[in-house]
Amino acid sequence: MAAPMPGLAVHCGFWRGGGGGGIMAAPTRASWRLLGALCLQRPPLLSAVLTPEEEEVAQLMQQWETERSRLSDHEVRYRDEQERLRHPRDNDDDLDRNRVVLVQDLEEIWEDKFQKTELAPRLTDADKSNDRTSLNRKLDSNLTLLVKQKVGDQEMWLLPQIEWQSGETLRSTAERALVSFLGNCIQAKFLGNAPCGLYKYKFPRAIRTENSVGAKVFFFKALLQSDHLSKEERKGDCIWVTKSEMEDYLKPEYLKQISRFVVDL
Amino acid sequence: MERAAPPGSLRGSPLGRGWLFPAAFAAQVLCLGKAAFPKQAFTVSRSTAFRENPICAVGGTLLSCSRHYWSQPTHGIGRFRHLVPAQVAKKLRERLQMKEINHGTDYEYGDLNIEMTAYDMCLVEGYTRYVHKLCNNLSIRVTRSYALPTKTTEVMLVEEMGTKMHLDAILTTHRRVIQITSLSATFAPILLEILHRNQPEGVHLLVKEHTEADFKVRFKSRPELEELMAKLSG
Repeated sequence: MAAPMPGLAVHCGFWRGGGGGGIMAAPTRASWRLLGALCLQRPPLLSAVLTPEEEEVAQLMQQWETERSRLSDHEVRYRDEQERLRHPRDNDDDLDRNRVVLVQDLEEIWEDKFQKTELAPRLTDADKSNDRTSLNRKLDSNLTLLVKQKVGDQEMWLLPQIEWQSGETLRSTAERALVSFLGNCIQAKFLGNAPCGLYKYKFPRAIRTENSVGAKVFFFKALLQSDHLSKEERKGDCIWVTKSEMEDYLKPEYLKQISRFVVDL
Repeated sequence: MERAAPPGSLRGSPLGRGWLFPAAFAAQVLCLGKAAFPKQAFTVSRSTAFRENPICAVGGTLLSCSRHYWSQPTHGIGRFRHLVPAQVAKKLRERLQMKEINHGTDYEYGDLNIEMTAYDMCLVEGYTRYVHKLCNNLSIRVTRSYALPTKTTEVMLVEEMGTKMHLDAILTTHRRVIQITSLSATFAPILLEILHRNQPEGVHLLVKEHTEADFKVRFKSRPELEELMAKLSG
């Protein structure tokens, strides 16, 4: 097995049973069905809110650095102008002083502009209504896509997955899954050709045949580039949830495997 | 009795001479003031005795002070070249490393450049430090970490409200590059994700393969050389 580096001992546990060969090889064991799944994440748009301690430290450091820093060009100019106002010299032209824009005026203009601008709120409408299908929710955390799919007889919420067809790479399977659930116009950036996780399960005895004992699902991670998704292109039920909200939708074993690679940094 | 005391007697004499003055004697000698030394220089020479038996009794060697310079204990006192490590001549031009891609089960990237661009120098330097330390801890080989020259942009706004005003803002763009090698393809997505998640606001991250153009960007342009080349070709 392609074991990369000693520091990766944690991640090697993901690929049990020759997962590294899943990129290009045809299945050697016909007993497992292979599926490629997609873990599409929308990265956070805002930085997280600082905790009270962090806030205090940030303020203290800011104050300390400001006290120790040198004067900037703007402050030097302000200081010179104050001196000139206090002791007007006779050689200065009155005309000259009228033309020059004083630092105080500049600061007033900037202050006005700042008061007039309105900052967008952190909690959007979707947050308040808890509309999980919209991407505008929870701007400071990762949102993962979950789809309702029919697996066997049951309809379950899972990460979008599609059966692997021979002749294609598992990554292209994941790309197909992306297109089938979200349409063609999606821009998602795949981080690499290697899968990030594996989930294997055996079928219940009634369905088990010689050829298919169970299924192995290989997960690929992708980052969502475009912010806006049009509703018409979505086929099926899709929701965007954070890691903590996933518990409401996923089965416990599935969740356990997924939470190994869905990280909330 | 005054004894001659060559300076530096306490130190071991240079190789090949082989005399060692006993410490006690040296201590006695040191008690004499500086004025004592010049007087000692012109005592009777007993050089013949030395040639016969250079490693002779201590008392004998000290009585006569004028002997050949190469047998004087102070010979080679200023020598230091043998202690300095040899300087390797600096190569003026560095050679580019060839990209290495192993085909097979182990895919590896060659030289990758992680470029970080921002307007705020503290942010970009802090992020560079973080990325460098992260690569060290994850045993990813960092070959080079350098900064590209700062670009200054002047933003001028012309407002036409009767009198034209020029609002100036000066923006400085800072670029830092970290070069890594032999990143395995199985680990690359994980590393990229970590970099992406820890990116501060205002810093633009770009990961790309190292090319010769990237290498050439760092050199200053030489206008005289370019003129001569143009003259040669034209």
